[in-house]
Amino acid sequence: MIEELEDNPNDMPERDTPLIEVKELRKYFPVKSGMFSKVQSHVKAVDGVDFSIRKGEVFGIVGESGCGKTTLGRVLLGLIPITSGSVSYGGDDIREINDRELRRKMQIVFQDPGGSMNPRFSVRSIVGEPLIVNGLTDGAELTKKVGELLASVGLKDSHMTRFPHEFSGGQKQRIALARALSLDPEFILLDEPTSALDVSVQAQVLNLLIDIQKERDLTFVFIAHDLAVVRHISDRVAVMYLGKIVEMADAEDIYKNPIHAYTKALISAIPTPDPNDERSEELLEGDVPSPIDPPPGCSFGHRLNHPKWEESTRVDLTLKEISPGHWVQPCPCCTEGL
Amino acid sequence: MSWKEGEEDREESLRRINERLSQIRIDASRSWKVFRRSILAITGLAMVVSVTLISIFADDIAVEHPSRDLLDTRDTWVNDYEPKRVAPFSEECDWHKQTISLTTLRRWDANWTTALSHEKVNPDDRTFYRDTLEVIELVSLEDNLGYDIDLSLVSVDEDNSSLIWISDQLISNTSYTTIRLTYVFNNEEMHHSWLPDGYDVCIFGTNTEGQDLFSKVLYGSRVSLKIGFTVASLTVIIGTVVGSVSGYYGGRVDEVMMRVTDVFFAVPGLILAMAFVAALQAVESFTMPLWLAILVPTSFLAISARSLVADSILPSSEKKSLASSDSIYSYFKQPVIVLSVIMFLILAGPWEGLFEVTDSWLWRVLSSLIIIFLVVGLVIADRAILDKSSFDDYLGRARSALDWRNPYRYLTLRTLAIFLSVAILHRLSGDTDGEITLIQDFDRLWKVQVALVFTGWPGYARLIRGQVLYVKEMAFVEAARSVGAPPGRIMFRHILPNAWAPLLVAFTLDIGGTILSASGLSFIGLGAEPYAAEWGRLVSDGRTYFPQDWWLILFPGLAIAFTTLGFNLLGDGIRDVVDPKNRS
Amino acid sequence: MIGVTVFTFGISQIIPADPAAILCGERCGLVDPTTGMTLLELQRERLGLNKPIIEQFAIYLQNLLEGDWGESTAYHRPTSEVVKDAAPITLEMSFFALFIGYPIGITLGILSAVWQDSVFDHISRFMAIAFVSLPIFWLAMMLQLLFSTGPDVGGICDPLFGTQGGCLPIYGRHDVALTFPDYTSITCSEISCYPWYYPSGGTGFHLVDSWFVTDDALSTLHPDYSTNRALFNDSLSHLFLPSFTLGIASAGSLLRYMRASLLEVLNEDYVRTARAKGVSERRVILVHACRNALVPILTILGFSIGGAIGGAVLTESIFSFNGMGRVAVQAITVLDFSVIMGVTLITAVIFLIANLIVDILYAVIDPRVRLE
Repeated sequence: MIEELEDNPNDMPERDTPLIEVKELRKYFPVKSGMFSKVQSHVKAVDGVDFSIRKGEVFGIVGESGCGKTTLGRVLLGLIPITSGSVSYGGDDIREINDRELRRKMQIVFQDPGGSMNPRFSVRSIVGEPLIVNGLTDGAELTKKVGELLASVGLKDSHMTRFPHEFSGGQKQRIALARALSLDPEFILLDEPTSALDVSVQAQVLNLLIDIQKERDLTFVFIAHDLAVVRHISDRVAVMYLGKIVEMADAEDIYKNPIHAYTKALISAIPTPDPNDERSEELLEGDVPSPIDPPPGCSFGHRLNHPKWEESTRVDLTLKEISPGHWVQPCPCCTEGL
Repeated sequence: MSWKEGEEDREESLRRINERLSQIRIDASRSWKVFRRSILAITGLAMVVSVTLISIFADDIAVEHPSRDLLDTRDTWVNDYEPKRVAPFSEECDWHKQTISLTTLRRWDANWTTALSHEKVNPDDRTFYRDTLEVIELVSLEDNLGYDIDLSLVSVDEDNSSLIWISDQLISNTSYTTIRLTYVFNNEEMHHSWLPDGYDVCIFGTNTEGQDLFSKVLYGSRVSLKIGFTVASLTVIIGTVVGSVSGYYGGRVDEVMMRVTDVFFAVPGLILAMAFVAALQAVESFTMPLWLAILVPTSFLAISARSLVADSILPSSEKKSLASSDSIYSYFKQPVIVLSVIMFLILAGPWEGLFEVTDSWLWRVLSSLIIIFLVVGLVIADRAILDKSSFDDYLGRARSALDWRNPYRYLTLRTLAIFLSVAILHRLSGDTDGEITLIQDFDRLWKVQVALVFTGWPGYARLIRGQVLYVKEMAFVEAARSVGAPPGRIMFRHILPNAWAPLLVAFTLDIGGTILSASGLSFIGLGAEPYAAEWGRLVSDGRTYFPQDWWLILFPGLAIAFTTLGFNLLGDGIRDVVDPKNRS
Repeated sequence: MIGVTVFTFGISQIIPADPAAILCGERCGLVDPTTGMTLLELQRERLGLNKPIIEQFAIYLQNLLEGDWGESTAYHRPTSEVVKDAAPITLEMSFFALFIGYPIGITLGILSAVWQDSVFDHISRFMAIAFVSLPIFWLAMMLQLLFSTGPDVGGICDPLFGTQGGCLPIYGRHDVALTFPDYTSITCSEISCYPWYYPSGGTGFHLVDSWFVTDDALSTLHPDYSTNRALFNDSLSHLFLPSFTLGIASAGSLLRYMRASLLEVLNEDYVRTARAKGVSERRVILVHACRNALVPILTILGFSIGGAIGGAVLTESIFSFNGMGRVAVQAITVLDFSVIMGVTLITAVIFLIANLIVDILYAVIDPRVRLE
C-alpha cells in the first residue's frame, strides 16, 4: 500500500507528506418540510474547512457539541457524501478511490462503544466482521487473527465468545479499537472515543491509543470536546465553531498561546486541580446558535453580542497564519489585534 | 490445506454453532421468564395451543364429517332423513335414542335394515364410514304424519342386534310412504368420554341440514388457522421486503412506496378486501407465465453461482482492487462482446436449425441443458477473461457496482445477459404460451386469502420501514458500513435481526386479525361456500334462523372470538417480552 | 387522493365483468336497426369502454370532478345519489359509535393506568383485548339477542325490565309505525332510506333531522310520535345498538392506547413535580397528566373513524341500515362497479377529511405543533 502512495511527485520527506488534505470542504444537510418535501434550508454542519494531516501525526479536533466535528469526521472517511470541496487521501480524491479499498485504509472508532456493536454479535464476530466482509480470512484463521487483535488491545482470548453487553465501557472501547485495527489501516478516526467513559478508564484507553499509534505508525484524527484529553494525545489541534475552524496550531502552542476568543473560553473552562489557580474564567454565555442559517460573519462574535460583530461581516475570514503553524480566523471581534 | 487445518476448521465451526445455540438458549429462557409473569399471555398461549390441537385432531374429536353428503341415498336408512335444526342438549340430541326414517317403500325389499350411525371419517384412509349400531330397545314407530303405529310391526333380530326386521304388513300397506322409527342403541365407538353422559353429539346443536354444528366448528378451526397463518406469513414477507427496501434506500423509492401505502390506508381494509374479492370473482386458477417461472429461479441461481465462482475460484489477491481510470468505451466493451457472442451463438449459430427440426421432449431437454451449460460456462469464462485480460475495465465497473450507495448494483449488465439468455432458452424450448399453475383450485377461500394479503402488506411495510429507519441510525450499522460491509449483509445480518421483534408481535396479532377479517368476508357472503365448515360462513348460514335458533350463531362466533383472543393475548405477551423496557 | 382514484379505477379494470353486458342483460344480442350495431356494442360505446384505458381514466376523472359518478347498474340511479343517500347513515352510525366508544375507552384507560397492576387493571386489559377480538357481526347479533327478544330465546330485557319483546329495536332506523302513512313519498326506494316527513334537503342524520320536522308533518304521524322529541328518541334507540357494537370495538383499542399513553406521561418529570408541589392526586391525573396523555389519542381518532366505517359494512346489514357498507356489499354481489368505486372513493374522502380535522385539532391542543 505504501508503495502506491509514493507516486506522489513531491519529494518531501515521508513524515511531512500530507496524508489527508481537506480543501474548502462543505457538508450541508437539507432541511425538508412542507407537503412536497421541498428543501427549505440547510444545516451547514461543515462550512468551508481547510487543513491537512501529515502522516503519522495525531490531529485533534475540538469544539462544543453540535459544532460539526462529528460530521467532519464522517465526511473525511467518505461515509457521507461531500456537498462541495474535496478530501484527498494520499493525493487521490476519496471519491475516486474504490470504496472497499478506502475502508481498508481508513477506519473509525465511534463515540458510543456499546452502540457501535451489533448486540447480537459475539466479540469474535464484531472484531472479525471487517475481515469477513473484505474476504480476507475465515474459519480458524479468523479466530487466531481476532485473538491477536484482542491481545494487542489488552483483552483475552476468552472474551471472544462473549457479547457486547457483558463488557464495561472501557473494554467495549478496546474491542472497537481492535475492530478498527483488524484491517491494518493507516488512518483511524477517533470520534470522541473517551467521552462516554469514566475518567479513570479514559486515561487507560488514551494511553493504549498512544501506544498503538506509536507502535504501528498510525495517523489519528482525534475528535473530542474535552480539551485536556486532546492536549494529552494530539500533535496538532484544530478548534471548530459552527462548522468552521477558528484556530489551528500545535497542541502546546494553542494551549499556551490561544488567540481566538473562543479558544480562550474553551481553555479557561478546563478544570485545574489547583484551587488557588486564579486564571480569568471566561464563561461562555448563550447556546451554540442553530447551524441552520447561521449568522453571517464571525458567528462567535454574534453569540457574544460583540460590539464589533458588524465589522466582521465585511472582512475575509479565511484562516491566516500568524506564526509558523499557527492559523487563526482573522476576525475583528474575537481575535483582536489581527 | 492440511488435514490438521481442516480439523481446526471443523472444531471452529462446531464451536460457533455451540456458541449460537447457547445464546439462543439464554435468550429463550430469559424471554420465557418475562412471558411467564403474565397470566394473560399464558392464557393466550394455552388458547392458541388448544385451538391448534383441536384442528390437528379434529378427525378424532368430531362426531361426523363436516361436509357429509346430504343427498347420499346409497343407504336405505338415513339418519335424520328430515334434517332439522336441533337445539344443543335437547332430547333429540341424545343419539342413544336415535330416530331413523324409511325413505320409500321400494327400498324395503329385503324386509330388514341395519341401524347405522352418522357418517364418519376414517382417520386412516379418509373415507366415509358408518358404525353399525347395537339396538337395545325400540321406542316408537310413527308414520309420516306423526301418528303412532304399532311397535310390534318391527322387531330386532335376535341374533344380530343391529338388524331390524320389518313385518310384511307394514311393507304391503301402501298408505305408509315413510315411517319413523326411534330406538335406543349402544355404541361404544360413538361415545366420547369427554362429553356429558347421554350427549354424544350435538352439544352445539345441529344446523338446518341436520349436520352436527360441533363437528363443523371443530373442522372450521382448520380453515381459520390455515388462512390466518398463510395470510400473515405472506403479508409479513411482502411487507418486510417492501419496507426494508424502502427504509434502507430512502429517497425516491421510499417516497413512492409510502404514497402507495397511503392509498391503502385511505380505504377501510374490509371494503378494500371486498372490492378485491369481487374483482377476483371470475378467476378460476392462479397462474404465472412459464417464462417468468423459469426466469426468476434461474436468474437467482445464476447470480448466486456468479458470486460463488468469484469467491471460490478467483484467488483473493486478484480480488484486491486498485484505483484506475476508465473510459465509456472500456466500461461497456467486455459485456458488449460477451453479449454479442451469446447472441451470435444462440441466434445465428447452427443450433436454431437443430431445434426446429424436432419438437420431441428429449430434444427440448437436451437443448435446454446445452444452453444452461453454455450460460454457466459463459458466466465463468466471462469473469475469468475480464479479471485476467483487462483488469481496468472490470475495476471501473466494479467501483460503481460495489458502491453501497448504488441500489441498482445487482442489475449489472452481466445479470442482464443472464436474463436475456434464459429468456432465449425458454423461447427455444418450444413452449411459448405455457403457464405454471400456482394455485390449482382457486376457490373463494383462496380469493379471500389473496385479497387479505393484498390489503394487508402496507401495514407491515410501514412497520418494518420505521423499524429499519430506527435501527439504521444506530451506531453499529454505521460501524458495519465503515468496515465496508455490503448492503445485503448490513440488511440481513445487522438491521433485520435487530428489527424483527415488533414484527413478531404484529405477526401474532395479525393472525388473529386475519381470522376476524376472513370470517367477516365469509359472513357477507364473499368467503366460503354455503354450509362449508368455516366459522364466518356458519354464522352467516345461521342468520336466517336468528334469533330463534341462536345456537347456530353463538358457537361459531365464540370459536372465532376464542381463537382471535388467544392470538391477541399471545401477541400482547410477546410484546411484553420484546419490549426493551423489560430487558434487563 | 389521486392515488385513490387510480386505485378505484384500477379495480374497475380488474373486475372481469363487462358493465355493458350487465346493463343490456339478455337483450345484448339484439341489433339496433338504425346503426346496425348490437345493443352490447351500443352500450359499450355509450359507456366509453371502447376507448383506450388512459383516455377512459381521463374521462373518469373529469366526470368525477363534474359530479358525474356514473350510473349504478343495480339501483338504476346515478351513483352519486346512491352514495349521497347512504353516506349520512354510515357517518351517523360511526360518529355515534365513537361518541359511545371514546368515553368508555378513555375512562377505563385512565382508571387502568391509575390502578396499574391491580385486579381492575388486569380485568380491563383483558376486556380491551377481548373487545378487539370479538367478531363485530357476531357481537351485533348477540346484542340483538340480549336486548331485544323474549326470555324463551335468551333475551335479558323482558325478565329484567318487564318489557314485552325486548327493550331496544334491532332493525331499521325508525319504528315501523312511522313508515306507513305515506309509504310512496319516501325519497329513496328503500324503506329506511329517507322518510317522507323529514324536511327535504335535510342533513340525512336522523338525530338532527328529527328536530326539524314541522308540526304539520308531525300531525300526520302515528300518535306515539307527535313530538320532535319522540322522533328523536326513536332514532336514538334505533341507533344505539349498532353504534354500541362499533363503539365497543374501538373502545378496546382506545383503552390500550390511553393506558399506555397515560402511564408514559405519569413517569414524566412534570407530573412528579406536580405531586411534589402537593397537588392532589386527582388533580395531578385529571389536569396535569390526562391533558398531555390525550394528545396522542387524537391521532387514533382519524383512524378509528376509518375503522368504524369498515366495521359498519358488517353491522349495517345486520341492523338493516342502508348505509354505505350495505350498499357496497350489494354492489359487489351484483358487480355494480360504479357504486363500488363511488363508495371506495367517498370512504377515502371521509378518511382524509377526518385526518385533516385531527391535524387541525392537534395544532389547537398541542402548542408545540403550532410553533413549527
